[in-house]
Amino acid sequence: MKKLAIYTLAAALLGSTLYAVSAAEKAAEPAQAAAPAEAAKEPPVCFESRKGASEVTQKEVKPGLPNVKCSPTTGAALWYGDPYDGTVPMGKMPGMEKLPEGHAVVKPRSEKLALMPMCGTACHNGVGPQFNPPTLPKDKRAKPNPTMEAMVPDLANFQHGRGRIWCMDCHHNTKRNMLVDHFGDPVSFDQPQLLCGKCHGDKLRDWRDGIHGKRIGEFTSTGKKRWFTCTECHNPHNVQDGARNRGFVQLQPEPSPQLPKGMKDAKHELLHPIPH
Amino acid sequence: MTPDKTPPADPAQEHPAECPAPPASADPAACAPKTSRRDFLKAGGTLSLSSLMGAGALMSQSDDARAAAEWAEHFQKNYRLMTDAEKAEARVRLEKRYSMEYGKPVTVDTTGPQPGVLMGYALNIRKCIGCRRCVHACVAENNQSRGTRPGEKIEWIQVLRMERGKFEADKMNHGYPEGLGIQVGGNAYTPAGQVLEGQYHYNPEAVPEQDATYMPIACMQCEKPPCVKVCPVRTTYREADGPVVIDYNWCIGCRMCMGACPYWARRINLTTPVLPKEEMNPVTHYLGNRPRMRGVVEKCHWCLQRTRHDRYPACVEVCPVGARKFGNLLDPESEVSKILERKNVFRLKAELNTFPKFFYFYD
Repeated sequence: MKKLAIYTLAAALLGSTLYAVSAAEKAAEPAQAAAPAEAAKEPPVCFESRKGASEVTQKEVKPGLPNVKCSPTTGAALWYGDPYDGTVPMGKMPGMEKLPEGHAVVKPRSEKLALMPMCGTACHNGVGPQFNPPTLPKDKRAKPNPTMEAMVPDLANFQHGRGRIWCMDCHHNTKRNMLVDHFGDPVSFDQPQLLCGKCHGDKLRDWRDGIHGKRIGEFTSTGKKRWFTCTECHNPHNVQDGARNRGFVQLQPEPSPQLPKGMKDAKHELLHPIPH
Repeated sequence: MTPDKTPPADPAQEHPAECPAPPASADPAACAPKTSRRDFLKAGGTLSLSSLMGAGALMSQSDDARAAAEWAEHFQKNYRLMTDAEKAEARVRLEKRYSMEYGKPVTVDTTGPQPGVLMGYALNIRKCIGCRRCVHACVAENNQSRGTRPGEKIEWIQVLRMERGKFEADKMNHGYPEGLGIQVGGNAYTPAGQVLEGQYHYNPEAVPEQDATYMPIACMQCEKPPCVKVCPVRTTYREADGPVVIDYNWCIGCRMCMGACPYWARRINLTTPVLPKEEMNPVTHYLGNRPRMRGVVEKCHWCLQRTRHDRYPACVEVCPVGARKFGNLLDPESEVSKILERKNVFRLKAELNTFPKFFYFYD
């Protein structure tokens, strides 16, 4: 009798465990099904040169051929299937007239700058009674402005020009969704080189000749290229940050190579061949 | 035996791609069945094959394009000696085989050197931040093995982290010998890594680090390549437009070239390469990034499948700081020519007289 009771108990226990397991599996199933569906909805977006600047959304150009491959580790663009994805002609650029029409393209940046359309209409339209008399400070020193700093955090620690330039040296006085050149004429955010070249003329010349900066596409000197503009690689509000030694923001590196067979770590690399 | 004269062993073998597995209701006559031994013998009898060809066809009959390709590859010439017709046939054979293996349409390009082009490369060593994006772009482009076990992960570009040396006041008197009190040499300098001695496996939170410089190295595509001199089967050679390439089919895996290369640029497939189907790059070149077999040496070829069609190499396109430059050395307007004209340039181990076409420069 006692034996029977034990068997019954064991059977009941087993049954309940099985039930619990199958319930857990059922619960897990929809979660697993949901995950790929979500991934399918939102294709990966990877950043190109630096975080916070131009980005590219993955899609298929041909079956099995993506326009870009993103790094699973850092989210950076790792491989371009289509170098001209989402580009427009660069527009007129002095010194680059030799290039055939349409062979220099850029990725428009204005549409990425989400606040841009509002700047000129909401606060900085430059017309109307509130700007008469003009509200810009005469001493050309930017006054701390919490609203601006909340929108563009880099402004709190502005690092460009070592204290010798201020906002209106680069941004247009009344058309705030534009930049400004030496003559006070507006310059598009898609062509910052026209502005940056005001001071960095040597870099502009090297950029125009293909020595400075980055281009993707065809390598021949007259080939169709996508030109990366200044601000796609450099953050103009923060170019002289002390924590770096190359003029770029720091990035997470991609994974290191495989260790040779049998090697546990790479500490031998830290030993100097010459003791000191 | 010239492969272009080989009669087709059987019609079904020729176009396997056109005959996918039909639905159950389809008329079987619409799609020729897989090779049967009887069909073959019938065809073979009428065509009066030589015994060798018959044996070859019998072996290739076994399953698929892979076996046929392998059989034909045994009899194929060194790539440089192949006629255009033979190249075209090898190309068709390989495309069929790779498409079947990787489950997507794979192209194998055989475009030759373009006239008036001599490829050259320049790297701004002042700009490199050591992010290793070029290394992984190269792997994504060039179909290297990417397994996890030893020897299964192959990367062609190496990025070296070099310590920065410095002079220090507190080491002013660390001279030698100290016994006599006469200082004959100083030790105020903390040595930086010497040439080609640095860290490969650095992995900080963020790069660039303050106290480091980075030096990427890969194949230098020498004008006088030591690897070409030592190759006993002459399977590696300099193409007319610059890059040093390998005909993988003729490589015997002796690794003489790996020993001869002063830049540590060559890698061997010790194991069968691990190349997942979905990661495989279907745009390939015969001398470039087509999937390799076990036991052959491979190396950077400046993305022939891209550069023969005027496209930048993959590493150039992903460099986030624009340190990598590529162009035609014969075109005075190209990026590389402008760099040679205007910048300070050096070549790695120039004293070896290998005359690399890979230049390091700095602003």
